[in-house]
Amino acid sequence: MAIQMRTGKAKERGQALMMEPMIDCVFLLLIFFMVSAIMRVPPPFTVTLPESATKHDFPRKKFNLFISADGRISFDDLEMLTLDHMEMYLSSKESQITTLIIKADRLAKHGRVIDVMERAKRRFSKTEGQEIALMVAEESYGN
Amino acid sequence: MASTQAPSGMTRMAGRERKSPKLDMAPMIDCVFLLLIFFMVSTSFAPMPGIRVQLPPPGKPNPNKPKGLIVRIANPEGVQKYGTMILNDEIVNINQMFTEFIHAPEEVKNMVIIQSERDVIHEQIINVMDIAKQAGIDKIGFAVVARE
Repeated sequence: MAIQMRTGKAKERGQALMMEPMIDCVFLLLIFFMVSAIMRVPPPFTVTLPESATKHDFPRKKFNLFISADGRISFDDLEMLTLDHMEMYLSSKESQITTLIIKADRLAKHGRVIDVMERAKRRFSKTEGQEIALMVAEESYGN
Repeated sequence: MASTQAPSGMTRMAGRERKSPKLDMAPMIDCVFLLLIFFMVSTSFAPMPGIRVQLPPPGKPNPNKPKGLIVRIANPEGVQKYGTMILNDEIVNINQMFTEFIHAPEEVKNMVIIQSERDVIHEQIINVMDIAKQAGIDKIGFAVVARE
């Protein structure tokens, strides 16, 4: 009887759980993830990156330049129809790009990649030269 | 009818005001949790792997012939996937290239210059860059045709 009484009381106390600190925490977490989230914007074509044993790590950023196997170019999901178009877009976004990330398909033509790099070199006005990252495939963990 | 209803409505309003307002938190918390889970799942902090390339500043290319190992790559022909690679006037394959790079004379070992035709696939270039970096050669140049 006494035990039952005590458990009943504990239940009553449990119902009055303090929700506010938990909600505060959840909101903080939510804001943190919302701010740090970089939406992955897929290009309008598929890109299979080449493999490489040596690699350097680059942080994920917006404004990735994709080059497809048949030579199409796209800035995130925005397809660039000509190299001039790409160059203009690149110059408008220059202040937001520190390292130009190029994701070229493994079957893309080298000439096309060089064209893009040449245009980028012409457009960026850094005296020490523009840094470019040629992306390679991430290791697949046994799948 | 209307006159009798109006006061009753008034009293109900007054009664509501007197009670302390109590917001139903459960649906909001559900929504917030869903959003939280969505953002947690879609965020990835893992860095992307890549190869760093430092482009020279804009301007005229260096007219002096740079010293380095020159790898010439021809367009792939027919059913070939990779183009033929020539290093020091000899045809080399990708496996021989590493030992060639390692045993190259010191004065040319600081740089690899890739002279490639346009239709060579990007993967082959990345392979050559990869091998050069593995052999300890950090400077890689791409030969381009100067345009007026």
